[in-house]
Amino acid sequence: MFHYYLVLGVRNLLRNPMLTTLMVLTLAVGVAASIATLTILHILSGNPIPHKSAQLIVPLVDNGPAKSYVPGAAPEDRQTSYIDASNWRRIDKSVAPVEMRTAVFDVNGAIEGVRADLPVEQVGGLAVDADYFSMFEVPFLHGSAWTRAEDDGKARVIVLGRKKSEKLFGNENPVGRTIHVFGHDFRVIGVRDNWSPVPRYTRLINSSGGPLSGEDDAYIPFSTATDIELYNNASTSCSDDDRAPGYAGFLKSECTWIQFWFQTKDRAGLASYLANYASEQRKLGRLKRDAPVQLFDVMEWMRYLEVVSNDTRLSVWLAFGFLLLCLVNTTGLLLAKFSARAAEVGVRRALGATQGAIFRQFLVEAGVVGLAGGLVGLALSVAALALIAQQSKSLAVVAQMDWPMLGLTFVLAIAAALLAGLLPTWRATKVTPALQLKSQ
Amino acid sequence: MLRMQGLSKVYRTQMIETHALRGFEIHVREGEFVTVTGPSGSGKTTFLNIAGLLETFDGGEYTLDGVDVKGLNDDQRSRLRNEKLGFIFQGFNLIPDLNLFDNVDVPLRYRGFSAAERSERIKGALATVGLASRMKHYPAELSGGQQQRVAIARALAGTPRVLLADEPTGNLDSQMARSVMELLEEINVNGTTIIMVTHDPELAVRAQRNVHIIDGQVSDLVRRMPSLVEPRAAEPVARPAVQ
Repeated sequence: MFHYYLVLGVRNLLRNPMLTTLMVLTLAVGVAASIATLTILHILSGNPIPHKSAQLIVPLVDNGPAKSYVPGAAPEDRQTSYIDASNWRRIDKSVAPVEMRTAVFDVNGAIEGVRADLPVEQVGGLAVDADYFSMFEVPFLHGSAWTRAEDDGKARVIVLGRKKSEKLFGNENPVGRTIHVFGHDFRVIGVRDNWSPVPRYTRLINSSGGPLSGEDDAYIPFSTATDIELYNNASTSCSDDDRAPGYAGFLKSECTWIQFWFQTKDRAGLASYLANYASEQRKLGRLKRDAPVQLFDVMEWMRYLEVVSNDTRLSVWLAFGFLLLCLVNTTGLLLAKFSARAAEVGVRRALGATQGAIFRQFLVEAGVVGLAGGLVGLALSVAALALIAQQSKSLAVVAQMDWPMLGLTFVLAIAAALLAGLLPTWRATKVTPALQLKSQ
Repeated sequence: MLRMQGLSKVYRTQMIETHALRGFEIHVREGEFVTVTGPSGSGKTTFLNIAGLLETFDGGEYTLDGVDVKGLNDDQRSRLRNEKLGFIFQGFNLIPDLNLFDNVDVPLRYRGFSAAERSERIKGALATVGLASRMKHYPAELSGGQQQRVAIARALAGTPRVLLADEPTGNLDSQMARSVMELLEEINVNGTTIIMVTHDPELAVRAQRNVHIIDGQVSDLVRRMPSLVEPRAAEPVARPAVQ
């Protein structure tokens, strides 16, 4: 019977194109507004590495001064000091359940003399440990990452991002070439392939485009970056006013400027280890606050850093409020449409249709409106996202329709139409056939 | 086939109660052609609506083809209506957006017949009323008489046990009315029980039995006429041509 109801639904909608167009457009506009805002929320709050996001952990130790400490308050900064980072980089698998770990900070510099026709080329990248590439499954176009041994040896090696590599070397494989960058010679050992996770969860606090857009031009070993005394090119927080001068003093300070990541399958074990570590640091008099070590997996970290802003959430609520208004309008239009068909309902009931059969027939018809609304809504959503994308580079990254959202557009449109159709459909089943038949 | 005993129906508003039927008694046997007459407001349509399971009643008994309909819920009444009853209305009540084929198809859809069986029944029913060649036409393209024939085909297609006709010739000119009446008589001869409400005394007397209703009751005057009141034993008849 579904096919029968579907055919009847399409026929009845075509019979009154003006009213149908009005209903479809009303629904489509509401759906488009909801889907456009929901798409942005979906991209922002999506899990960028679903199969291992729970294993990738950011630790936060509160190394702030004792005087301003409020028990239970969040750490003052969201990064880690060099002291903690260098301690954690030495963690042995035998003492803590850590599979991999990396410190991360932003580096910025200039590449010189690669090609005579190129001016000095700015490069914004990351100083990371060798594990970074495996932990975050970074794809390689040429070559490979460096090793832990090269980490330890402070090797002057560099992995270029594909775009930067192509800008510098065209389609040539630059692995083995030496480039002068950050004031030193570095040997190119790899070229990262296109890789732009959105949000840029590995380094949300960055200087090259924020959490949404931009990408890293190059990667050098963390140990090398500190060896050649590179400072963090993003946010750095220092509450330690009496630190020693120079880079050595900076490294020994409680300034927080490093993002640290662990990969573990035993979060509780890691938490226990880090709690003991913090306790030891307090005993040594380094950590002044009796604050617990906080751990965040990828999704928790993105929530903690509020990648999805309250404005984005509010716009989704507003869009759904608008959809609700559209639904009320569609309900009104469907009521008018179905009320005009009371005679047909009377005839069908007289000929043996149960109330359930009438309910299904009219609900399918409402569903057809939803399907049409979904199609038009999809076109409007794509147009709305294109308009949003024009507003900024960051928005252009997230204003992208993907397959799940495309599917959701239809689900939402049909669900909305069915919801809007419930009252009119229920009213249709309540038609008194005897009354309708006599009035014909 | 159809028996009502002591049937009553009261319409209530906040202000008044209207007794549409009171102590209503009728027994229609299989194969009969019964006409129901009476002045306006006498309860003819109420009787037909209750007989057609389109309305419930307040008291008494109603048995349709051996089924006591009193305790049936709405769905059960709908199914019984679909299986046992055919309707013909004064205003034809065809669905204007459906062609003749699809109009006749409506009750068959709810019966759950296969596509092949439906098609066979529809073509047979339209052939019976002489409109087989126009099955792709829409109601608006037909005359009143032809539309009523389509309504008859629709009522017949499901092979009902009882055909309920509410002034089926009321909207037709005399020639078309005669033609429709002849068709109904032919259907009755083929074995379908027919109960027809009419205002037309000429048509009323053409039936085997006429029941006159006054004030919601079968009129005593008619009851005293044995030839009209007592149901005649149905002659053995073949099932309708349309199966």
